[in-house]
Amino acid sequence: MSTHSRTARSGDRVAGALAYGVVGLGLAFLAIPLAITCLMAFDARTFLGPLPPPALSLHWFERLASQADILSSLRTSLVLAVLTTILSVSIGTAAAVGLARGDFPGKGILTSAFLSPLIVPPVVIGFGLLLFLSKAGITNGMARLLLGHVIVTAPYCIRTGLASLLGADRRLTDAAMILGATERQAFWSITIPLMKTGIITGAIFAFAISMDDVSISLFLSDPSATTLPVTLVSNMRAAFDLTIAAAAVILMAVTVVLIVVLDRLVGFDNVVGQGLFRS
Amino acid sequence: MTNARQQTAAISISDRRDRAITLAPAVLVLAFGFLSPLINLAIESLKEFTPGRVGSVENAATTVQNYHELANQAFANVLLTTFWIGGVAALVGQLVAFPLAYFIVRRLSPRMRTLALGFLITLVLSSVLIKTYAIELTFGSVGILRPLLLTVGLSANSREYINIVVIAGLVHSIIPVATLTLMGAMQSIDPRLLDAAQSLGAPGWKAHLSITLPLSLPALVSSTLISLTFAISAFVIPMVLGRGRVLFMSNVIYTRFSDIANYPSGAAISLVMLATALAVISVITLAHAWKSRR
Repeated sequence: MSTHSRTARSGDRVAGALAYGVVGLGLAFLAIPLAITCLMAFDARTFLGPLPPPALSLHWFERLASQADILSSLRTSLVLAVLTTILSVSIGTAAAVGLARGDFPGKGILTSAFLSPLIVPPVVIGFGLLLFLSKAGITNGMARLLLGHVIVTAPYCIRTGLASLLGADRRLTDAAMILGATERQAFWSITIPLMKTGIITGAIFAFAISMDDVSISLFLSDPSATTLPVTLVSNMRAAFDLTIAAAAVILMAVTVVLIVVLDRLVGFDNVVGQGLFRS
Repeated sequence: MTNARQQTAAISISDRRDRAITLAPAVLVLAFGFLSPLINLAIESLKEFTPGRVGSVENAATTVQNYHELANQAFANVLLTTFWIGGVAALVGQLVAFPLAYFIVRRLSPRMRTLALGFLITLVLSSVLIKTYAIELTFGSVGILRPLLLTVGLSANSREYINIVVIAGLVHSIIPVATLTLMGAMQSIDPRLLDAAQSLGAPGWKAHLSITLPLSLPALVSSTLISLTFAISAFVIPMVLGRGRVLFMSNVIYTRFSDIANYPSGAAISLVMLATALAVISVITLAHAWKSRR
């Protein structure tokens, strides 16, 4: 018995150390590359040298801000992300309300159809849209990009909207109407507040995905409307310097702001509960 | 009685009208921006390609040539690369995500747990471009992990080195999503089961092997497949980190568009890729059906 428990204990020690080692290495692997990028963005050298930077400066940021194509594509990306968020949240919230209103024939199929853009590789969506929109005669770059981004972000809004309505009691709306509220009043003062967490989570995901997308935008961008990630990717392939690290720091800062807003308004536990990471 | 029936009828009519109004925008956008392009891709993939023309000719002949051309060694290699690199990345991702999810769910204080969740969600929402660039900086010519790989005896220009960097790029994106997916399953495992096993004399590792692992197996299977779908449709990661030597299916679609403007062939590859993605997804659906039957 004693030998058995001793081997058991040493087995545990080995297994435990192994598990903690994997967890530690995993976290380091996630964090270190991002930390290096942040550090290198402030490198005072004018070339890509080994770590650590001998001095810090903001010159990579200055150089980034002096590139006209970066600035114009940043503007395009921001306008596009705002428009995408507004459209996707409106369309997605409405669809979630419609799907949550009782059972009807074809409900399951419609739900799957609404979520199906999530399972199609983004490159296929981008290439498909490129061919189709050229044939349909839609040549405006911004319009093409907007359609592509709404297609991939609206499913997130539908999903988070549905998840937030899942626990909501339909009778609350009925009660409001029995008490004299019109249908419209009941919708705006009961249904929408109930969906608050879902709408906010969906909006933040839509904004972030639209700001970051490369696979779809690369096909749909044209000289009049090019997004920031597309410009960065072509810069990255042309020359590997640290202006991109500076851009990465700025994009990371935007994401962190979004995340803080998300935590304040919704809470991370609720975000995980929205079904975005359902197994 | 009649009154009541009329009431129900009135409600259901208004419900039906509301449903039509609320669902119409999504249906229209989906039909125009998603279904029509996919149907058009299928049609285009059967069109004859005329070299030197952008897109297929107006009344191009119907042909299966574009698919037939894919039955060669070069495309088979692309398919194979996509799957083996994607598969390795998906598995390595689970190997890290599984203990990480357990650690976050069971070993952290609520405060640290929120912090860890915030970190993971930040990673999920950060641009794939940032992550790819960060990996390139870490493994690239001045990267801190480069000496490590060089001591193992890999030359920085070898195919193996590039494969490892692409896998690292994919794993970096897979770990956060897989961890968040697995955490749900871990949370629903009753911690008293482990306590019971251990107080009955089972060593900790054995208790995990016979309780934690089997109970989270369905989640692990779907997490693996979700990671695999992500990996095989990856585009930016192999494009930037693969330096043109590691080509995934998505990269070939892009070259068909950007370099040689062979749209019909690009459409055929898109359909092959779509079919592959759907095949993996249907395995997930089957796994779910199997899980709920048990």
